[in-house]
Amino acid sequence: MTGACGESRPPLSPPALAAGKGLDADPARGRRLIAERGCVACHTVTGVRGPASNVGPPLHELWRQAYLAGVLPNTSDDLVRWLLDPPAINPRTAMPATGLQKADAEDIAAFLLSPDGARGRAP
Amino acid sequence: MMSATRIAVLAVAAAGAFAGLAGGAVVYFGWYDVSATSPHTMVVHHLMDTAMARSVKARAADVQAPDLNGEARIRNGARLYRTHCVQCHGAPGVAPQPYALGLNPAPAALVATARTRPAAEIFWITQQGIKMTGMPAWQYRLTDDQIWDVVAFLRVLPLLSPADYRDRDDGLPPAEPTPVAPGSLRTGDAAAGKKALQQYLCVTCHAIPGVTGAWNHVGPSLAGMADRPYIAGVMVNTPENLQRWLREPGAVKAGTAMPDVGVSEQDARDIAQFLNTLSDDHR
Repeated sequence: MTGACGESRPPLSPPALAAGKGLDADPARGRRLIAERGCVACHTVTGVRGPASNVGPPLHELWRQAYLAGVLPNTSDDLVRWLLDPPAINPRTAMPATGLQKADAEDIAAFLLSPDGARGRAP
Repeated sequence: MMSATRIAVLAVAAAGAFAGLAGGAVVYFGWYDVSATSPHTMVVHHLMDTAMARSVKARAADVQAPDLNGEARIRNGARLYRTHCVQCHGAPGVAPQPYALGLNPAPAALVATARTRPAAEIFWITQQGIKMTGMPAWQYRLTDDQIWDVVAFLRVLPLLSPADYRDRDDGLPPAEPTPVAPGSLRTGDAAAGKKALQQYLCVTCHAIPGVTGAWNHVGPSLAGMADRPYIAGVMVNTPENLQRWLREPGAVKAGTAMPDVGVSEQDARDIAQFLNTLSDDHR
C-alpha cells in the first residue's frame, strides 16, 4: 500500500524477500528460455510471445502470488525446485519435468519473479 | 434579475437538499441491503477499502516495530495465532471456521496482508481492530509484546507451506504474558474507564448515561451508580468492592447472570472510577 504522502514503509513480509533473494541469475536469459523451451505451449506469460494457451495457469505477475502450484510458498528457491521437477513436489501434477538445468531454472525463476518482467518489459 | 452568485447558491442548496432527502429515503425505506450475503457494490467496496487503508496508514504512522527476528517471539506468535486468529483468518491449508466463512467483509488471508502491509499497520490493526468488519481490537486481551509476537509470526507465515505450518504446531498454549507489577498500576482514570467498558461489552446489557450504544436493559441501568449504597444488592458500594464485582461477579454473588469477562485490574480501576462519576445529581 503506497500512499500519496508521507514515507512509505515496506510490507511486513515483502514479496521481494521471497523472490530473487540470493538468486544470482539472468532474467533476460530466463525470458528467452521460456520461449525456447516450450513453456508457452501451456502457459501464457506476460512479455513472452506465444499462443494464448490455457493448459496451465497464466503466469502474469507471478511475484504477487503467495503460493506456487498451490503447495509451495512462493520463494525463488521453491520456484527453482518446482521448475526442475514438478512431479517430485506434486506427483499428480500435469506439468512434466522438462529437463532444465539448474542454471536455466534459476534464470527463468528470476524472470518470472521480477516485477519488471511481469509488466512485459525486458528486465 | 437574480445575480449569478445568487443562482449558484440556490442551485447548490437545492442539490444539497435533494441529496439529503435521497439519503434519508435510502435509510427510511430500507433500500440499502445490509445482509452479509449481498456484497457491497464495487464502488462502495473500493471506497470503504480506501478509507480504511488511509485511516490505518495515518494512525499507524508513529508505531515503531521492535526486532521481529527472535525465534522465541515467532514461536509464541504461532501459538497465539492458533489460539486467536486461525479461526477466522485460516492458515496455509487450513480453512476458517464455518462462522467466519459467512463474514462480510471476508476476513483477510494474512499471507496476503503480510505481503502488502507494513509491520506497524498490522500491529495497529490487531491492537485497535476495525469497526464493522468483524476484526476485534486485541488491546484489552493481549499485551503489546504479545501482539508483536503475532506480527513476527505473520512475517514468516508467507514462507510456510501447508506442511511447514502443520509441523510447527507444538501443541503448546501461548506463553502467559509478564504479569503487571502491582506498583505499576495507576489510580483509576474515568476517561480510560469509559473507553474500556466498550471493550468488555458492558453496553450490550446495561444502560449507561453518556455512553454510545449503552441503552440496553438486560441488566440494571447504571445511572446514578455513584449514589447507590449497594452493588448488585449484596455488597456495600466502595471503589474496592466495585472493582472486585467487575472482576469476579460470580464469586461475589453466586448465581448471578453477570459473567466474568476477564477485566484486568487496571481496567477495573478505570471502569469503577468512571461509574463513580454517574451521579443522579448531575442529570
